[in-house]
Amino acid sequence: MFNNVSNKTPRNLLFIFEVLTLFLLLVNQWDNIEKTVYYIWIALILVIYISNYILNRISNGDNYIFLLVTMLMSIGIIMIYRIDSNLGFKQLLWFIVAIIAFYFTYFLMKYIRGWKNWGKLYIILSYILFLLTFLLGTRKYGAINWISIGGFSFQLAEITKLLLIFILASYYSKPDMFKDNKYSDYIVMAIVYSFIGLLFLQRDLGTAVIFFGIYAVIQFIYEGKRKNILYNIGLFAVGGTIGYALFDHVKIRVQTWINPWLYIDNKGYQITQSLFAIAEGGFFGSGIGLGYPEYIPLAYTDFIFSAICEEMGAFTGIGIIMLFMILVYRGLKIALNQNDKFFRILAIGVSTLFGIQSIIIIGGVIKVLPLTGITLPFVSYGGSSILSSFIALGILQISSEDMGFKEEEYSE
Amino acid sequence: MNEENRRIIIVLAGLCLCFIGLIGFMSYFQVFEAETIKTNSYNKRLWINEEKILRGSIMDRNGTVLAYSQENDGKIQRYYKYANLYSHIIGYSHRAYGKSGLELSYNNYLLDLSESSTIEELKNIVAPSTIGNDLVLTIDHGSQEKARTLLQGKKGALIALNPKSGEIYAMVSLPDFNVNSIDEEWAVISEDTNSPLLNRATQGLYPPGSVFKVITASAIINSPNVATNYTCEGSTNIDGYNFKDYSNTAHGELDLSGALTVSCNTYFTEKSLEIGHDRFRNMAQAFMFNNNIPFDLPVNTSVFPKGNLGDTDLAASGIGQGKVLTTPLNMALTAAAIANNGEVVKPILVSDVVSTNGKLVKSNKREVLSVAIDSLDANSIKEMMVAVVKSGTGRNASIKNVKVAGKTGTAENASGKSHAWFIGFAPADDPKIAVAVLLEEEGSTGGASAAPIARDFIIYGLNNIKF
Repeated sequence: MFNNVSNKTPRNLLFIFEVLTLFLLLVNQWDNIEKTVYYIWIALILVIYISNYILNRISNGDNYIFLLVTMLMSIGIIMIYRIDSNLGFKQLLWFIVAIIAFYFTYFLMKYIRGWKNWGKLYIILSYILFLLTFLLGTRKYGAINWISIGGFSFQLAEITKLLLIFILASYYSKPDMFKDNKYSDYIVMAIVYSFIGLLFLQRDLGTAVIFFGIYAVIQFIYEGKRKNILYNIGLFAVGGTIGYALFDHVKIRVQTWINPWLYIDNKGYQITQSLFAIAEGGFFGSGIGLGYPEYIPLAYTDFIFSAICEEMGAFTGIGIIMLFMILVYRGLKIALNQNDKFFRILAIGVSTLFGIQSIIIIGGVIKVLPLTGITLPFVSYGGSSILSSFIALGILQISSEDMGFKEEEYSE
Repeated sequence: MNEENRRIIIVLAGLCLCFIGLIGFMSYFQVFEAETIKTNSYNKRLWINEEKILRGSIMDRNGTVLAYSQENDGKIQRYYKYANLYSHIIGYSHRAYGKSGLELSYNNYLLDLSESSTIEELKNIVAPSTIGNDLVLTIDHGSQEKARTLLQGKKGALIALNPKSGEIYAMVSLPDFNVNSIDEEWAVISEDTNSPLLNRATQGLYPPGSVFKVITASAIINSPNVATNYTCEGSTNIDGYNFKDYSNTAHGELDLSGALTVSCNTYFTEKSLEIGHDRFRNMAQAFMFNNNIPFDLPVNTSVFPKGNLGDTDLAASGIGQGKVLTTPLNMALTAAAIANNGEVVKPILVSDVVSTNGKLVKSNKREVLSVAIDSLDANSIKEMMVAVVKSGTGRNASIKNVKVAGKTGTAENASGKSHAWFIGFAPADDPKIAVAVLLEEEGSTGGASAAPIARDFIIYGLNNIKF
């Protein structure tokens, strides 16, 4: 479908970008450079270059989306490494694992058929994951959405996000999922809202909004009963108001969004420190290694955008926003060109996920939206976030391919 | 296009609008909000240098330490040894209330953050220094204490300098404040109607009154067409406004020297008209009116009216009233210029900036800002000013065995009570100290209240300052 598009030039530009930024970082840390650092950097450059190269060979789909994402990953890893070299190294490992997960997803989706038939399975899996979170969950940064297995922390909601897209895709591509029930549309709405409610209880407001966003978008495109869209929006508004009245953590988010300066040394500390960092960076940034990301709370995860803006400048921040915009554009273009409805909805869901998640967190740290603790996809530190983002990217990659041949193969 | 694709494109457009909105806000934020946000005192970046670098000490001309920093349990603290005495000179460096005085204007030197060249900047990035530079002031600590004692209980300013080099020996502005208790008293200090935060010596603008006649006299001497003799009848009517002499005294037949000695108002108002506005203004500007005086602390510019000026206003200017406004610093420089053969020198407060290993980082050298009048004329004015102290309104400033030159002033002002002024220098034959004393809303004449203060200060200074 996209095989006339070459990704050679951007691949080489990306290569130059990485060499230059890594050189800057090396100059900054000249005094205490260890040998392993060189290996890490060579590994990063090779991983990115090779994985882009391989993808071009094996996939006849859209090869730009992976390039966009590796650009985002590069900026993220360099920033994380600059903040904390150990985390940077871990992030690089996660990146490699995530690329494997990407290819794994890609081939799994390509050669296993019937994904659209397992809607009920996805629903059951989602509830199991929620249950696990409540049973094993630990509180981290105010939200109970982490579980710890063998020393690694996971955010199971990252996986549930993808399951939600699958549930909606299989429901709208095969509305007979609940064929014995004429209220099937309400059942789906109830299921989605049970998820959102559970996320509310886990205090994971950001993810709750993402769930709502994905649902609202797919519903907007595919819901036959247009009234349901209004019900959905109404329900969210009512739920949000009740949540605001009942939960203090929701109130705090809104208060510190309206005027964080009143609570500068307590509730508003995070957002104001983020604004200081972005303001200090100006358009061109202080330079890598010359800013003070250590003053920004959670600079390597939720607030990585602020740290990047401080050291690399608002222009890099705007660049990141534009990369996400292009990613969303390519993703929805994939949906427009996809003939298979299930994969079309998957592409829409994944694009919306990337779009909404990046808008919410970037808007949060620059105080356009209330701050909710979620990661910036592909940029923030975090294993589960990267893994789920790359799995989602794998889904988008397979959705960019022509599914026609698969049907033929199937019929033979 | 089918309905489904149309809706996908709507979603795409919606998301793109959000992204563009974010980009728009980022740009708006950087252009309009970033500058103000950066200066918030909770921005730790403002205090990074403070935490890492031992701020330099500040010493007077004899090496007496006035302010220093010390590390206690890993935290650097600033100590001001004299609570009120230097509140307008050294000022304060405070996390919540910012910086003032030399702590502000020499901040980069005190923290050794000189940004003179790219190489220096790179050096700062690679190997930032941890100990700042020291400042050596021209201030004489003893004189500063003496000046404050003399002004105690009054509102006003005293500024004393070396007329030849411009070195400032003492600069006091009252009321002042305790720099060590800013935390507790900030609300009181900042809202006090007597404005203790204002450095009256350099930033207070006052009508100069009769001390301005020194400049008028300079303009008269400099105008060959203006006759210097005049008969004073105690009052004169200019364009409908009646100018009177103090107590309506008719001084009779006067030359310039006689007029200055008795501070005859009618003489100087009439002569101002003869000088003419342009010529008069040029002379005032040669004495730094309407000109920015370069200084280590912020200075307000003295005003001599420009543009169309009626006869009444021009006449009023001749006796330092009307629209003429000046700072005590400017009037001290005026006295110094007469003492210094007509040359206005740049006032110096910080003589040297010395690095921790004793290297001279910066030193302020003598600089002539303007040549107001030639030395012959300056000497004539000087002799007249000597006569003022010897036999005129400034008798209270006379010192046994020392020839003092001076001029008194009693400036009327709109708020009611008059300001008392005295400017002068001594010894007249080899001037070492020039001084300006201003007592705000004192209500008595300069000769009665300001002149004795100047006298006592000059006695102390001549005996104690190491010139």
